[in-house]
Order: sequence, then C-alpha cells, then structure tokens
Amino acid sequence: MSVLLRAELLKLRTTRTFVALVGASLALSLLVVGLTSAISDEFTEQRVRELFTADFTGLFITLLGVMGMAGEWRHRTITSTVLAAPDRTRLLAAKVIAYAVAGMVLSLVVTVSIMVLGTVILSARDLPTLGGGDLADVLWRNLVVAALFGALGVGVGGLVRNQVVAIVGVLIVGFALEPALLAVVPDVARYLPLIALPTSIQDVDVTFPEAGLLDPLPALGLMLVWVAALFAAGAAALRRRDVV
Amino acid sequence: MAPVEIRGLSKRFRGVTAVRDLTFDVRPGRVTGFLGPNGAGKSTTLRALLGLVRPTSGSATFDGRPYDALEHPSAEVGALLEDTAFHPGRTGRDHLRVLALAGRHPDRRVDEVLELVGLEGADRRRVKGYSMGMRQRLAIAAALLGDPKVLVLDEPTNGLDPPGIAWLRGLLRAQAGEGRTVLVSSHLLAEVAQSVDDVVVIAGGELRGHGPLADVLGGGDGPGAVARAKDPARLAEALQRRGHRVHRDGDELHVHGAGAETVGEVAAEERLVLHALAPRSRSLEAAFFALTEADG
Repeated sequence: MSVLLRAELLKLRTTRTFVALVGASLALSLLVVGLTSAISDEFTEQRVRELFTADFTGLFITLLGVMGMAGEWRHRTITSTVLAAPDRTRLLAAKVIAYAVAGMVLSLVVTVSIMVLGTVILSARDLPTLGGGDLADVLWRNLVVAALFGALGVGVGGLVRNQVVAIVGVLIVGFALEPALLAVVPDVARYLPLIALPTSIQDVDVTFPEAGLLDPLPALGLMLVWVAALFAAGAAALRRRDVV
Repeated sequence: MAPVEIRGLSKRFRGVTAVRDLTFDVRPGRVTGFLGPNGAGKSTTLRALLGLVRPTSGSATFDGRPYDALEHPSAEVGALLEDTAFHPGRTGRDHLRVLALAGRHPDRRVDEVLELVGLEGADRRRVKGYSMGMRQRLAIAAALLGDPKVLVLDEPTNGLDPPGIAWLRGLLRAQAGEGRTVLVSSHLLAEVAQSVDDVVVIAGGELRGHGPLADVLGGGDGPGAVARAKDPARLAEALQRRGHRVHRDGDELHVHGAGAETVGEVAAEERLVLHALAPRSRSLEAAFFALTEADG
C-alpha cells in the first residue's frame, strides 16, 4: 500500500493540476476573506470563525479527488495504472489516502493564508480576532473536512467513470440539490455530505441555522460513513469494470 | 506449464462475442506473433490475459497464475496495450518514475529503459509534445521497466517509422534470445513476419492456426507445384509413392513438398504426359488471408 500511496502522491506532484487548484482556491479565498474583513463591521468571535471557514477548498478538493480517479479513464492512463497495481481495491484505497493528504495540504495553505490576511485586516480595524487556541481549533476542523472531501471525491470518481458527468454531478448536488433540500426538508438534508455535515464538523452553522445541523462529533462519524460507503461502491464498480 | 497459457477463453461484451473458446500456449525463448485482422479479438485476448478484462469463461494465465495473482506482476510481465495513453501534462521521465514506484522497481531502471528506447534526450519534456513514435517508445520503455520474463505487446509498431520498426524487431529478437517469452500482436503480417518464430492466427474471435510460422502460413512443407496431366490419378499416385502430398482440384493437382522440377522428373520417369506444370507460389500474405477469411 505504501508504494501505491507514494506513487499516487508522485502523480499529484508531477502535473500542474494540483498546483493550479491550490492557486485558484487560494486566490478566491483570499479575495473573499480580504473583502469581507475589510468591508463588514459586524464581527463577533463566532463570525470570525465563520470567516475562516468561508474558503473554497471544499469544492476544489472534491473536484481534485474526482479527477484523480475519473481522470484515469479520461486520459486512458487507467490501463497502465491497473497493470502496475492489479488489486483495484488497494489502488482505490491508495488514491483515497493520497487525495485526503492532498486535501489537507491544500487546506493548510489556504486556511493559514486567510487567517493571516483576515487577522491583519481585522486587527488594523480594531475588530475582534481569534486567539491562538481558537485559530488552531478552526484549522484542525478545516483540515479534517478537507481530508474527507478528498476521499469523498475519489469515491465519486470510482463510481462514476465519466469525469465530466462526475464533476457536473458534484456541482449540482453541492450548489443546487443540497441547499434546496436544506431549505425544504432539513430533517433529511442535515445528513448530506457536501454542505450539511462539513458545516456541522466546522461548527459554523451560518448559512442554514434553521436546519438544526448535527453536533460536530456525530457529523464526523456520519461523514466517515459516507466516505466508506462511496469507497465501497467505487471499489465494487472498479473491480467489476472491464478496462477496454 | 507454459509461460503463457490460454485455455477455452471466451469473452462477450453485451451480447457480442469478441473471443470464442480460444486455446493456445506461448513458448519461452521465441517471439510469437499474435495475428489477425482488425476486430479479430487480439486486444480482448491480451486484455483478458493481463487481467484488464474479465473472461466470460476460460482462463488466461502466466505460469498457471492469472496476472492479478502474480507476486510482482510488472517484474514478471511487461505489457504494452494498443491504447496506452499518458497524462499529457506529465513528462516522459515522470510517467516512468510513477510506474517504477508503483511496481517497486529501482529508480535507475528509469534511466536504463529511457536509454534503451532512445528517449534519453526528450525525457524531461511533457508527453503532449511527443510524436506518435516517441509515445510508442515511451510505452515500450514502460513495458521493459521491470525487466520482465514475459513481454506482451499489442500492436507495438503503431506510430513507429521504418527505422523504429527495425529497432523493435531487433529488440524483440534480443529479448527472445535471452530466453524471455515474447507475444506480439499485429494486424499486419508483413511487419512481424521477419521477426517471429511462432504465430497464433485468429479471426472472428476464433483460433485459425497456431504453431511455427512456416507450418501455419505455408512454406513449412517445402516447395510446391501445380500440374495438369493426361492421367492425373497415375501422376498423383506416383508423387505420393515418393512421399509428396497431393490434392486434386478438378483437372489440377496441387503438390506439396515437391517443386515443378521434381514433378517434371517424376512424370518423365513414369512416362506420363503433362499438359501444364507451374511452381505453386503461395505467399505468407495469401496464406494469412486464406486463414483469416475462411468461415469460422
């Protein structure tokens, strides 16, 4: 497993996709956090916590994971990948771990950057900021969510072999379906993995306070169940599929 | 137990039979050409052998074990498949480094195979800038990475220019010369005829011939002739008495194992009148077409 994991991490490092996604995610997150902390006056400690989770890493990391697996079919590199690692379940497991690690790296870069920028601007404006302990608390939650998003993306990519369909599917669920369900049937939607559960883990119930999201620990457990279920389904599909 | 064994292999894709009840062995120390027209089932067979496609029935094994049960697959079997592709944004060297890492091969093998395929000067360029021939050489380098005992190459001449094809022939001969098993598919007999020892011919997903090249595609029974005689039955009997194979097609006798000169001499010795006599010329290509176009 360790050589497969290292091979997957080497794959990530040897194309520009990962660096480009880190760059895009960082630029967008810095823009939003910079503008919000420069313009808004209504800051409490909870509001600052929310600010430091209001990045775009989740989307980018999920898409990175999707591309990490579905991209093998798109670029037709799946043949050489499976020849090198014929045990497809182990292959998918290595990818899940690799993209969880990649998600954490991306989130670390973005979270630390926006924390520095936000704290500098808020301090300059004499507005509340977070202490070291609170910043660390936000950071680890962001890292955990990022790792889960990376793993989730790989599971989706394992299940849906067409990269475009997988990406569009994730975007539809994340931007339209889950928000709509949270507004209409929160009793169901609070168990969903792209918005509700990550928000619960990060403990920033800002967008859907009326939905009554879960506490962080049960949310983390449920998110792990989602990842495990998608991994199992993705691995079953990958094992069954002919590589032609 | 042969290095490569195909036993009763069949594969159906959504109701379409790609390969039907295929059985053959591939011997070590020889280059075996896996021949057949496009759509014959060659790639499907090789993919089943390499564990990429699940057979509907039958088996395809290396030393009795399926590919995915091999202890160190890429060190035992090197494979190149027809649609082998690369991430366009990754360099040739990095592509090999990833495969070397996943296959547990030392890093120095990357340099060795790059040199072997003549890509050492282009290895740090992204693959999207490679020509077809360079991509094919990179794919061959990947197949050789584990210094495998068995090579399975699907249409390896695709994209190679004539010097590249000549280089590949030399490489395959050298690999077989070291006692390795080489199975190489092609839909173009001419490209492999000079370098193969054995052939497996398939068409319509079914085996049409298997054995040494000369035996399967003619030439194995020596020279041949076509004769017309006043008394064909006596001429046939005289030739058969001397150990030559003869079959009659209307007025014509098709003689195997004896050229026109021999047939003429036999006719003279037997005082038989000949109306026509010509050498039988059956090119490999013609024999290949005859085999692959025959009804299953």
